[in-house]
Amino acid sequence: MSSHRKNARNAGHESGPRAAVLSEERHGAFETKLMRINVGPVHPATHGVLRLVIDLDGEQIVSLSPRIGYLHTGFEKTMENRTWQQVITYTNRMDYAHSLGHDLAYVLAAEKLMDARVPERAQRIRVLLTELNRIASHLISLGTGLLDMGALTPFFYTMRERERIFDILELVTGVRMNYGYFRVGGLYRDLPEGFEELVQSFIDDFPAALDQYKKLFLKNDIWVNRTKGVGVISRQTALDVGLTGPSARASGVNLDFRKAVPYSGYEDYDFEVPVSEEGDAYQRFVVRADEMEQSLRIVQQALDRLEPGPIRDPDRRISLPPREELETSMEAVIFHFKLVTEGFHPPKGEVYVPTESARGELGYYLVSDGGSMPYRVKVRTPSLPNVQAIAPASIGGPFADMIVNIATMDPVMGDVDK
Amino acid sequence: MDPLVSGERLADRMADALADLGGERSERFDQTYVTLAGERVPDAVRRCREAGFEQLSDVMAIDWLEYPGHQGPRFTVVYNLFALSDASRLMLRVNVDEDESVPSITPQWPAAGFFEREVYDLFGIEFDGHPDLRKLVTPDDLEGHPLRKDFPLGETPTLFNDGRFLDPATFRAGMMGRDAGRTGWAGGARKGVRSEQGRADGDGGEA
Amino acid sequence: MALTDLFEKDFQELEREGILFGTLGKLVAWGRSHSLYPVTFGLACCALEMMQSTNARNDMARFGSEVFRASPRQADVMIVAGRLSKKMAPVMRRVYDQMPEPKWVISMGACASSGGMFNNYAIVQNVDSVVPVDIFVPGCPPRPESLVYAVMQLQKKVRGETFDQDGVELPMVEGWTRS
Repeated sequence: MSSHRKNARNAGHESGPRAAVLSEERHGAFETKLMRINVGPVHPATHGVLRLVIDLDGEQIVSLSPRIGYLHTGFEKTMENRTWQQVITYTNRMDYAHSLGHDLAYVLAAEKLMDARVPERAQRIRVLLTELNRIASHLISLGTGLLDMGALTPFFYTMRERERIFDILELVTGVRMNYGYFRVGGLYRDLPEGFEELVQSFIDDFPAALDQYKKLFLKNDIWVNRTKGVGVISRQTALDVGLTGPSARASGVNLDFRKAVPYSGYEDYDFEVPVSEEGDAYQRFVVRADEMEQSLRIVQQALDRLEPGPIRDPDRRISLPPREELETSMEAVIFHFKLVTEGFHPPKGEVYVPTESARGELGYYLVSDGGSMPYRVKVRTPSLPNVQAIAPASIGGPFADMIVNIATMDPVMGDVDK
Repeated sequence: MDPLVSGERLADRMADALADLGGERSERFDQTYVTLAGERVPDAVRRCREAGFEQLSDVMAIDWLEYPGHQGPRFTVVYNLFALSDASRLMLRVNVDEDESVPSITPQWPAAGFFEREVYDLFGIEFDGHPDLRKLVTPDDLEGHPLRKDFPLGETPTLFNDGRFLDPATFRAGMMGRDAGRTGWAGGARKGVRSEQGRADGDGGEA
Repeated sequence: MALTDLFEKDFQELEREGILFGTLGKLVAWGRSHSLYPVTFGLACCALEMMQSTNARNDMARFGSEVFRASPRQADVMIVAGRLSKKMAPVMRRVYDQMPEPKWVISMGACASSGGMFNNYAIVQNVDSVVPVDIFVPGCPPRPESLVYAVMQLQKKVRGETFDQDGVELPMVEGWTRS
C-alpha cells in the first residue's frame, strides 16, 4: 500500500524481526518497515554540524547513531607545534560559546606544570570574565533551544543581553569572541577604565532581563508541553553515558567542579549549584536559567573584591621582565630573549586539571617533554560524551522530542570534534 | 590545601587495592596513577566502579615516539576515573605496543564508546570487544592515524604575492630554536624573511 | 501629462516627474540584490557572529536578508561561516549544488578564506577550491558590521557597481553562466 511505496525508496536497510514485531503491534495487518533518515550535518536545529542517522517507525525513533567529525580541526596535533603560550590562541576556538572556559582550563594546567603563582587580582578577573562568558553561553543555549522549538522572540531577547556581555569583554580584551586574554601566569593586560561601571550596570539590569525570559517560556503552555517529561535521563544513565554539566545536574548528578575541586579561588565565592532529580528537558532548561543567576552572583562578588595589584606572575621564567630592567640587568635581557624566541620550558611530566565549563567537565591533560612546545595536549571536552547522551534520551520518543533533546544537551561541535 | 592531593582518599585506597591485579602505583604532580597490563583493565575498571568511581572522564592515548629518553612500548592509554563522593581522581595507565590491542570497557561502561573510537581513529590502537570500532572524527578517505608522531601535520606552504614561498615548519623550527643556526640571531637571515628583520638586536615586543 | 510627452519631453524633465528609466536587467538586479536570503551554513565560531549580525543591534534583515532559509533550494547566498573541514567539504559542495541559480558565496572569516590559523591535515585551506567565492571577509571572527558590509558589497556586485583590483568594472552578475 502507500507505506510500501514510501518505504521502497529506502530499500536495503534493516527490516529484521524487530521491525516486524513493531509493525505487528502498532499497525496490525499492515507490514511497515523502518525508515532510515539522515539528520544533518546541515540542519537548522542541530547546533552545528552534527549528523544523526536515525531509524524511524512512523514518528517514533527506534535507533539513533550520531556521526561526528564534520568540524574536526586537528587542534591537538596543531597544539603540539606551537609554544605553550601560543596554544592559548587555539584553546578558545574549540568551545566557541564558552571560550574563556577553555582558556582558563589550559592556563591552569600549564601553571600547575610550571608551578606558577598567579596573583589574586588576576584570579579574580579570570573568574569574573569566565562567569560572564558562562552567562553568554547559557544565553545562546536558551535562545537557540527555544528557536529550535519554533519560538523566535526569546532568541532576539537573549542576543540583546549577549551584546551587552560582548561590550564588556570587548572593552577588556579587544575582541568580541575568541579572546586571547589569559596568559600562563596571569593576564595579558590590566583592566581599562570604565570597566566597573559597565559591569555593574549589566549586573543591575540582568535580573530583570532574566525575569523577562522566564515569563516568555516558563508559563508558556506550548513550551511546557514540549519539554515536561521529554527526554528523561536517569542519574544512572547519565553516569553510564558520561554526561556532565548542567544536563547531568538536571538528572541528579550533583557534580560541579567549581565546588568539588575548586580552582582559581572559587572556594571563596558564595554561590549555589542548581540540581534537579527529574532529568527531563524542562529541568535542563531551568537548571541553565538558574545557573545564570548564580553566575551573576559570582560576578558581583568578584567585582566587589577587585583590588589593585599585579596581574602576572613575576617569575621571570614565565613572564617578561619589565622593560625598564632591560636597560640595567643582563639576566633580564636573557630572560626576555629566551621567552620571546622560544617561550618557557616546563619540566617533564603530565598534568590534568578539571574545570567546569558551561557544558560540563573540561580538562586539559598536558604532557611536557621539557621543550618549548607541548608534547601532547589532550582536551577532555564536555560535549563529546554529551552527544552520546542524545541516544538514550531520544530513543522511544518522537522525532520532535529529539530536537528538544539535542538543544538541551547543548553540544558545541567545535568541542565535540576538536 | 591543594584539593588534588590524594591523602587517605578513595584514589589511594583503590590504587593499593589494585596491586593484586598487578597494578603499580605512581604519582605525578599530585595525581595517583596505576599502571596495569591491558588484560586487567576491564576487571580493574569494574572494581573501581563498584568502589565508587562513578564517572569515566576520559580515555586517551599518548604516543611516546619522539619523547626524549623514553624506553618501552610506544603508546600509553590512560583511563581517567573520578569519584564523586570524595572528589578524588584515579588514572589507570596501560602501556601498549604498536600492534597490540587493549580490551574494551565499552560493554560495561557505554561512556567509553566515543572515547575509545577516538583513540582508535587518531592513534590506531584497537579495542577488542568494542561494539562499533570505526573512525570517529577523521574523513573516511584519510588513511593513517593523525595523532601519531610520524604522521605529518599536513601544512600547506604559504605562497606570497611577490613569489616568496614560506615553508611553515622550517620557519617555526627557526623561531623555536629547535634548529640552531636558523633563528637568524647567529648572523644569517631566516629563509623567506628579508634580511633586515634577522638582526640580532631586533625588537621582541610583548609576548 | 499626455502619452506623447514620453517621446517629446527631455529625459531629466521626465525623471523629475517621477518616471524612471532603466533596463530590465537593472531592475531584476536591484530586486535580487535587496533580497538575498542566506542558507544556514554556520560551521563554527563565525556562525555565532553571523547569528549576532541578525540580532537587534546589527540588523541584517534591513538589508534584505530577512530570513535564513534552511533549505538551499530557497536561498540565494551561502555564507560559509567557519572552518571547513575536509570531511565537510563534499557536503558543502552538495548544498551549493542544490541552490538554484543565481547564487553567490560569501566566505566569512579567516578560516573559510584561507584556512586561517589552521594549517593542517584537516582543514580546507581556501573555500574557493570547493565553491566559487564572491566576497571574502577577513576577521577571526569578523564583526557583525564586517559581515553586513560584506553583504552590502555583494549587493553592489550583483547590481554591477563593483570593480576588480585592476580597476576594471565587473559585469553585473547574470548568474546562470557560473559553475
